[in-house]
Amino acid sequence: MKLKPEQKARLRRLVTHTLLIGFLILVLVPYIMVVSASFRRGNFAPSGLLPDHFSLEHWKYVLGIPYEEVVNPATGEKRVVKAETPPLIWFWNSIKISAIASIGILLLSGTAAYAFARLHFKFRSTTLSSLLILQMFPMVLALVAIYVILDFLGQYLPALGLNTHPGLILVYLGGISGYIWMLKGYFDTIPASMEEAARIDGATQFQTFTQILLPMSLPIFAVVFILSFIAFMSEYPVASIVLQAREKWTLAVGANSFLAEHQKLWGRFAALAVLSGVPITLIFLVCQKFVVSGLTSGGAKE
Amino acid sequence: MKGLPIRQILVVLLAIPALALSFFIYQAGNFYVGLAILVVTCLGVYIYLSPSANTFRYLFPGFLGFGLFVIFPLVYTIWIGFTKYSSQNLLTFDRALALFRQETVAVEGAATFKYTLFSQGGAQHVLYLEDEKDPTKRFSSDPFPLEAGEKPKGDREPIRLNALPADGKVSGEAMQMAQINRAKLMSPLKALKFALPDDTLVGLEGLTKFASRQRLWKRNPDGTLTNAKDGTVIRPDLAQGFFVNNQGEKVGVGFRTFAGFYNYVRILTDPRIRGPFLRIFVWTFAFSALSVLLTFSVGMLLSVLLQQPDIRFRRTYRTLLILPYAVPGVLSILILKGLFNQEFGAINEMLRAIFGFAPEWETNPWGARAMVLLVNIWLGYPYMMLISTGMLQSIPSSIYEASAIDGSNKVVDFFSLTLPLVLPAMIPILISSFAFNFNNFNLIFLLTGGGPQMVGGNAGETDLLVNFVFNIAFRDSGTNYGLAGAIATLLFILVGALSWVNLKLSARQVKI
Repeated sequence: MKLKPEQKARLRRLVTHTLLIGFLILVLVPYIMVVSASFRRGNFAPSGLLPDHFSLEHWKYVLGIPYEEVVNPATGEKRVVKAETPPLIWFWNSIKISAIASIGILLLSGTAAYAFARLHFKFRSTTLSSLLILQMFPMVLALVAIYVILDFLGQYLPALGLNTHPGLILVYLGGISGYIWMLKGYFDTIPASMEEAARIDGATQFQTFTQILLPMSLPIFAVVFILSFIAFMSEYPVASIVLQAREKWTLAVGANSFLAEHQKLWGRFAALAVLSGVPITLIFLVCQKFVVSGLTSGGAKE
Repeated sequence: MKGLPIRQILVVLLAIPALALSFFIYQAGNFYVGLAILVVTCLGVYIYLSPSANTFRYLFPGFLGFGLFVIFPLVYTIWIGFTKYSSQNLLTFDRALALFRQETVAVEGAATFKYTLFSQGGAQHVLYLEDEKDPTKRFSSDPFPLEAGEKPKGDREPIRLNALPADGKVSGEAMQMAQINRAKLMSPLKALKFALPDDTLVGLEGLTKFASRQRLWKRNPDGTLTNAKDGTVIRPDLAQGFFVNNQGEKVGVGFRTFAGFYNYVRILTDPRIRGPFLRIFVWTFAFSALSVLLTFSVGMLLSVLLQQPDIRFRRTYRTLLILPYAVPGVLSILILKGLFNQEFGAINEMLRAIFGFAPEWETNPWGARAMVLLVNIWLGYPYMMLISTGMLQSIPSSIYEASAIDGSNKVVDFFSLTLPLVLPAMIPILISSFAFNFNNFNLIFLLTGGGPQMVGGNAGETDLLVNFVFNIAFRDSGTNYGLAGAIATLLFILVGALSWVNLKLSARQVKI
């Protein structure tokens, strides 16, 4: 039987929608299950789309609000549970660390990218390539050295030592080469003629950089900020080695601690995941357009 | 710039603390580190003050961070790969030697001292000693911290005691024996060693008095040590990183030592390392290749589906399909870990209910590998989808019109037109995705922890090389930094070469 063109098109649309909806279910169901697990009494692995025993205990725990828990169902004995370090702190720590480190990344990679795009010096393209290749050495493997450096720094500048946020931020500032590439690629697309004209009118090089090139490059700076922010929010190994005290942990370290070997506190993890995952996801989706344009010019998300 | 010389003022304001830091570090005995900071500071001052170094003003801050936290760790790790440095060979040679020098034995007819401990408030205390035979010989220490329950590390330097003049007094509140006991300071005090001005070591004997003690090891000019009790001689064996006696037996603690290619030879010859290393290498390669292939296929399929102009809700689909990329990776990985839980997880609950069958995602090596790949596809396809969408949009629609006239269909179009056009431009992305997955530490660490355990080895069936190295350095019972450094170096050479090739490939497309 031969299908008419419009029947063929309808069939094609049907198949397309079926496939897309199938994928959507695979993508959405895990997230819905986590939301429901965060409202379910007890710490069970996520399953089921609706919580069977509705409870706000995990949300209270994560936000640091005390709540009552039945210890012994036979006697109805209760006790008050309150998080010693409210997990919300980890989210705040992560935001703080990621934001400051991302601003630092913008400063360091922005200036360096300017030099690579506009100034002439020896070994320019060799240096640029070396940056990218050297960065392929994963930070996880450099942990011994990073530990040694921070331990040493901490003896003289306690604020930058192990178990401090500034120390972790300092380590994060090393990972600039991918962002230099991204920014340089963007600078290259902006004609230098305007800056040259300004130079002739007597502007200094620094002025042409800050007053002409920077304002024109704001979109790419937004991309770099978002990408590095998200990468730092998800960074686990370095943070887990550098930060030891519970109240200093980042979201990634804290979230994983709920699922440590013996006791798996899925409910608490779920509440923390929803609480912190939602705002970041929304920011990402809002800025999606920016990010996609930046992706084609730079590396993968970590 | 007119007016205030802002740049010059800033340079001075930053240079002063840097110089101070350099000086303090030098003073604390780290000559080379102090020198390095001094050199970098001078370089910085030169760059920001001299007009001829203008270009480097923009590069200096970034390179400083890059040098300290990328290049230095890289060089340091490569160096460690050439040394014996593990929990067996942990201390530097000097520290190991100092440990030997602090070992003491009781001596016959030793001088004994009455003692008083003076509290200085807080944890600070001062020790006062008085020779039992000659009460004019009196000594006191500077304040030192002493805390209840604290176990002082064995390698602590002896605390110096100074001679106290005849009219000298010790400040602070003298503690009674009962007070010391109550404050639980006796055993921490016993663990400490004190040195008289003539370098004799004294320590607490019993509860009531201090006695001089003799050093167990005497240092000889040729670098060997002689045991004062039984006269045995030990010498440092630099190849082993241990002190050995004349019978060649190891004595005491080991120390770090240069080992040449020892670690590399071990990777190639020691079956306990070579076995897991090769298996993990193959798995790492397969995992990365399959991840790239599958995420690309799924991403491409979705972007092609979404490319059809007559499909409704395209924007909604696209936004929701990006979710795994938008949610922080750590959270997604942990969520999926819960779903794949072998006994209680939602996936197995469902499979059991429908098919009466529950795969062993955690205990069976192939099940675990399948899970790792499934999760990675789930996490990675949105990135490929985003990139492919961008590329598809850049293909002029006229070529499809031409082929439609020839009576072609969509599937043939895709393989004969779209793919050949997109693939060359995708290659750098695919290679960097390969390199990223090659070192995808987080996924394995958080999802399986490397498990299940490999039979007869210290590694896990799903461990990637980078996780293998991490475990050798930080997790295993015998943390072995040297071996980890050597494997890390090999890994870096591999991935570095890959990204070099990648650069060459993309340079051919876009001139750098």
